[in-house]
Amino acid sequence: MRTEPMIEVRGLQADYHVQRHGYRSIKEYLVSFGGKRLLERRRVIDGVDLDIAAGECFGIVGRNGSGKSTLLRVLAGIVEPAAGSVVVRGRVAPMLALGVGLEPELDGIENARLCAALMGGDRHAMRRTVEHVRAFAGLAEEDLHMPVKRYSTGMMARLGFAIATTDDPEVLLIDEVLAVGDAAFQLKCYDRIAELKQKGGTVVFVSHALGEVQRLCDRAGCMEGGRLLKVGGTHEVGVFYHGLLGIPVGE
Amino acid sequence: MSAHAVHAPTGHRVAWPLVLRVAWKNVRLRYKSSLLGFAWTLLNPVLYLAIFLFIFSRAFGQVDNYPVFALTGLILWTFFATTSAHVLGALVENAHVLRSLAVPPLVFPLAQLFAGLINLLFSLIPFALLLAAFGWRPQPVHLLALPALALFAVFVFGLSLALCTLNVYFRDIGLLWNALLPALFYITPIAYPPDLVPADLRWVAGLDPLYWYIDLFRTIVYHGQLPDAGRMALVTVLSAAALAMGMVVYGSLRRGLVANY
Repeated sequence: MRTEPMIEVRGLQADYHVQRHGYRSIKEYLVSFGGKRLLERRRVIDGVDLDIAAGECFGIVGRNGSGKSTLLRVLAGIVEPAAGSVVVRGRVAPMLALGVGLEPELDGIENARLCAALMGGDRHAMRRTVEHVRAFAGLAEEDLHMPVKRYSTGMMARLGFAIATTDDPEVLLIDEVLAVGDAAFQLKCYDRIAELKQKGGTVVFVSHALGEVQRLCDRAGCMEGGRLLKVGGTHEVGVFYHGLLGIPVGE
Repeated sequence: MSAHAVHAPTGHRVAWPLVLRVAWKNVRLRYKSSLLGFAWTLLNPVLYLAIFLFIFSRAFGQVDNYPVFALTGLILWTFFATTSAHVLGALVENAHVLRSLAVPPLVFPLAQLFAGLINLLFSLIPFALLLAAFGWRPQPVHLLALPALALFAVFVFGLSLALCTLNVYFRDIGLLWNALLPALFYITPIAYPPDLVPADLRWVAGLDPLYWYIDLFRTIVYHGQLPDAGRMALVTVLSAAALAMGMVVYGSLRRGLVANY
């Protein structure tokens, strides 16, 4: 039995470098030959400590702009930490937005191959991804050979989730993308998430739907202003989050 | 199970099989919904050539075999104009992927470069046939065109990578480039012979890097001569400098990309 956590975050800070607006800043930059900063740092994650165990599903709630998605991006390796450390002990499959990596003109099968390659897979991984899409996405063979520009949002979600969950990823990161599937597919996703957990996989799940978080997650955290203000049981965190939003408890 | 510290995650290591796969996808998509498809790679310069022949062939009567002269310039120009524009847009156009998957951003500009190269290589065969129709005959020295094109590709990539990175922060770059391309086309001796430029203005023409690449390519393919070492060295230095500039601009602005796509 593993003792060390699957995800270990210590003193994490992350910044976005945003350009300083206006003509003056460009002029200053050019006149100083790059000496003056063209970009301004904006702190998005400001001191986060978090351990998530293998086989655990961790939910993250919080207001828009509180840093939830950025935290997932750091875990996915898309945003570099400015300070602190992040260790992820396993293969990460990010599902951070709907239809990511999908090329509208290509069909479902070609897209599955392309996405597998973009996620770092080799020829074999690409073949397995196509097999998993056929078996799991619940799309007709005819749909799989149609350009994804003609897909509905729900069909895109099916394809995306099937691609992301190929090969039983050890860490699955989900950013509010399951809500668009129909009820049948959502149930199928929940089952798949449960299956991945049983195999020792870790799921990090960002959502505004507290019901979903309570249903899926073992623990949860609430983010505000780039900090994890509260970590605990899903009910406890839900109550805290509602308090933060000023919504009466019990709703 | 591998433990990895997510420290320099969007890493600098670029997976070449991935670059080629994306490049091939780009080539296929470029002509997917067009009837004539790949033929456009050839049609475009041929249309230009028709215009040149119509307008200029009398004006530049002193040029020996004007169609071959014009075509050798047009092959390079077409590659330059299309590839620089495609590389320039590569980061912004793949913003959705780059914000959501840990792909090294450099993959996309590189894939556009290779898509341009694949296109160029495919088009060399019909171009050779077209040149042959105008009396051009292949010689062993023409094989040197390949390293010349490789040097040109490095130059185009370096320049476009810098523009591509800056374009993420200031979309003006892409718009500016669209306006600059036609100007460059007329400044560079593509349709007209370089000795038509008045002697006291030649140094200005020499400031245009494209001039040196087209001159090198023409020396080999149009004149069928070995390029002299000085010219080769100059072009090699230009390519290395462009690549270095592109990598420095990309490297220094890379961290900020993700918030600005």
